[in-house]
Amino acid sequence: MNTNNRALIATAAVVAWSWAVPAVADDTVYNNSFRLGSETVFYHTKADDLSGPYVPAGVNINPKDLETLYIAYVRHIWSGFEAELAIGYPPLAKVEGKGPATLGSVPYNGEVISTARWISPTLFLEYKFLSESSLFQPYIGVGVNYTTFYDRTSTAQGNAASGGPTKLSLTSSVGPAYTAGLSFNFSSRWHLYASYSIARVDTDLRADTAGVIRTTHIRFGPQALVVSGGYSF
Amino acid sequence: MTKFLKSTGVVLALVLATACGGSGSTTSQVSNSTAPGTLALDPPFRIASLDAATFEAELGATTTGAQLLQLTGAPACGVDFYYVKFWTVGGANEATESSGALMVPTGGTGCSGPRPILLYAHGTNTNQALNIADITDPTNTEGALIAATFAAQGYIVVAPNYAGYDISTLGYHPFLNAAQQSGEMINMLAAARTALPKTLTSATSDNGQLFVTGYSEGGHVAMATQRALQAAGAPPTAAAPMSGPYALEAFGDAIFFGNVNLGSTVFGPLLTASYQHAYGNIYASPADVYSPTYATGIETLLPSTTPLATLFSEGLLPQSAAFNSTTPIVTIPGQPVLSAQLTAALAVPSDPANPLTPLFAAGFGSPYLINNDYRVSYALDAASNPDGAVPTPAAGVPLAAAAPTQALRLALYTNDLRHGAWAPASPTLLCGGDQDPTVFFSVNTLTMAEFWSALPAGLVTVLDVNAAPSGPFAAIQTGFIGSQLQLLAFYQTAAGGGLSLAAAEQKLVLGYHTAVAPFCAVAARSFFSQFAGG
Repeated sequence: MNTNNRALIATAAVVAWSWAVPAVADDTVYNNSFRLGSETVFYHTKADDLSGPYVPAGVNINPKDLETLYIAYVRHIWSGFEAELAIGYPPLAKVEGKGPATLGSVPYNGEVISTARWISPTLFLEYKFLSESSLFQPYIGVGVNYTTFYDRTSTAQGNAASGGPTKLSLTSSVGPAYTAGLSFNFSSRWHLYASYSIARVDTDLRADTAGVIRTTHIRFGPQALVVSGGYSF
Repeated sequence: MTKFLKSTGVVLALVLATACGGSGSTTSQVSNSTAPGTLALDPPFRIASLDAATFEAELGATTTGAQLLQLTGAPACGVDFYYVKFWTVGGANEATESSGALMVPTGGTGCSGPRPILLYAHGTNTNQALNIADITDPTNTEGALIAATFAAQGYIVVAPNYAGYDISTLGYHPFLNAAQQSGEMINMLAAARTALPKTLTSATSDNGQLFVTGYSEGGHVAMATQRALQAAGAPPTAAAPMSGPYALEAFGDAIFFGNVNLGSTVFGPLLTASYQHAYGNIYASPADVYSPTYATGIETLLPSTTPLATLFSEGLLPQSAAFNSTTPIVTIPGQPVLSAQLTAALAVPSDPANPLTPLFAAGFGSPYLINNDYRVSYALDAASNPDGAVPTPAAGVPLAAAAPTQALRLALYTNDLRHGAWAPASPTLLCGGDQDPTVFFSVNTLTMAEFWSALPAGLVTVLDVNAAPSGPFAAIQTGFIGSQLQLLAFYQTAAGGGLSLAAAEQKLVLGYHTAVAPFCAVAARSFFSQFAGG
């Protein structure tokens, strides 16, 4: 099952649940909420070609889209305004080679050359339209994203392409983030959310293979489709 | 608000806990030891991995590569090119990191599993950044030659870049220093043997057979390495020094007495810098040897990252004028005849019967590189302590002079491979071309052949690729002579420059030393194949 299918099924399940359970809205406003759901991340990557010794022209990388668990804490600030701290379960992001079919005789294009996990908390200030008692509340938000990478691993195929065991490092990033979504309020405590978020992540990749250093600058514009359920207290 | 902070704190703690998970990747380990022969980075970096078809295609994409393929044959194996960094010592026994190539054959039968090692010493290169392992560098023609000739035919090739080149911070190159260069070859071999099982190509292993070869400067290095391995009780399976300056004292005498070789203005500074660092007595000041025009900075001029043509054009080195065109007058008190003979011997060559006279004469001019006084001091020592091969071969074995006293000549004697009681115990091929204007065949190769003439028949084989084709190497001789004729004809065509016959012949002479190399390399491979197993 591919990522898009899973997202579609998750969305359908949420919609089905929303029809099955009658909405009960009242005016009670709780200050705290947790949200849990599915986050599908679409990378929109622009990376400079790798530079460094023994790198032919046109060697690039391509991070693969992925799906992970979405967790968020939301704090009601004042009427209509909320702060959301969103964080995904650190997913295993796979990076494929992009460029020549082979480097020498080593397959490159389309090969998974590295993996990394990243933690990427985002703090949003959100504004919800309509009253808390409305069945639906559209919202928009702006915030700041912090992304850091760990468990960076060059795969066997990556090591073969790089020329040996390779140590990867990726700098952490702080950048703007934007979100827009819709909440469906079953009750004052239970909610369903669907949102689309965009962030800007800039990182410098440094690959060290036996002292031979290759670098590139990567600009991610990750776009996350989130479908989640929330509980307020 | 307190609740918010607490909740945020929990999430941040999660973030920090996971973010501190660290990297899951590692790279090569840096050795803490600087002992000679230590692999500095383990495992070494693989610059490229080419299967046989890709290697053939890449070589075939250039004119010179296609010509090389015609000579070496299509690759039977793929080749993985590793860049090995290791520790050795310089000419004054100072520790230095050096580097080189480990070329590992890949593929099926005859390419992987236990394979013989071929230890190769490259020729003189003025490019300080030389990395013979870098097959991606189109100027690395010697790397391509040994890869196509040996590695692509199933030999594990080990070849140092030499101290003073690439990553080495030595600051000079121990040029024609037999002890240092043979030691470095053996250090590189040890490092490569350590590295091989840990490479990405560990399916190819050392079968215990060792072949030693090298070209030009590397011919001297290969022979010195053969001697050193033998002295250490580990003689190579076979050796093939090629076009090397083995009989250094005789060669030096020939040059100082006017037979100036092609490239002498490059070899001179490399040689004096090397021996000055090793022995400390070549000069008190470079101006003792070199003319005021070039003395400043000459000690560190070569090797250089500046192209040789630029060094010439900027006036840092003369292109060919090694000696002063004004002949020095030698005056030895009480010996007018000898004085006159030496003065005549130091004159600009003018014998019209010798076809090499124009080449030798080109070694004289003004401005010139080496002072007349220094040249005379060398000549006086040569007259007092004559070499057994130059100027006139002595009867019997052509020994080097027993006790030269002039510092440079003593250094040449020390590094002359006739010096010291040794003879090859392994089958040895001495290959070269008899018209070589850079490293004289007769003075070096034929002198060594004569020096070892009492050895059992078949132990030392001499091959002149320019001789009339005969014997097991007839095809190689035919190929070389044919290629020279083709080049001569080509230079006279419009595409080749439309040169006159005389100019074409001159151009052929200029490229002769380089042209011999691939033919000798293929001859060496053919010679080694008699002994190589697997």
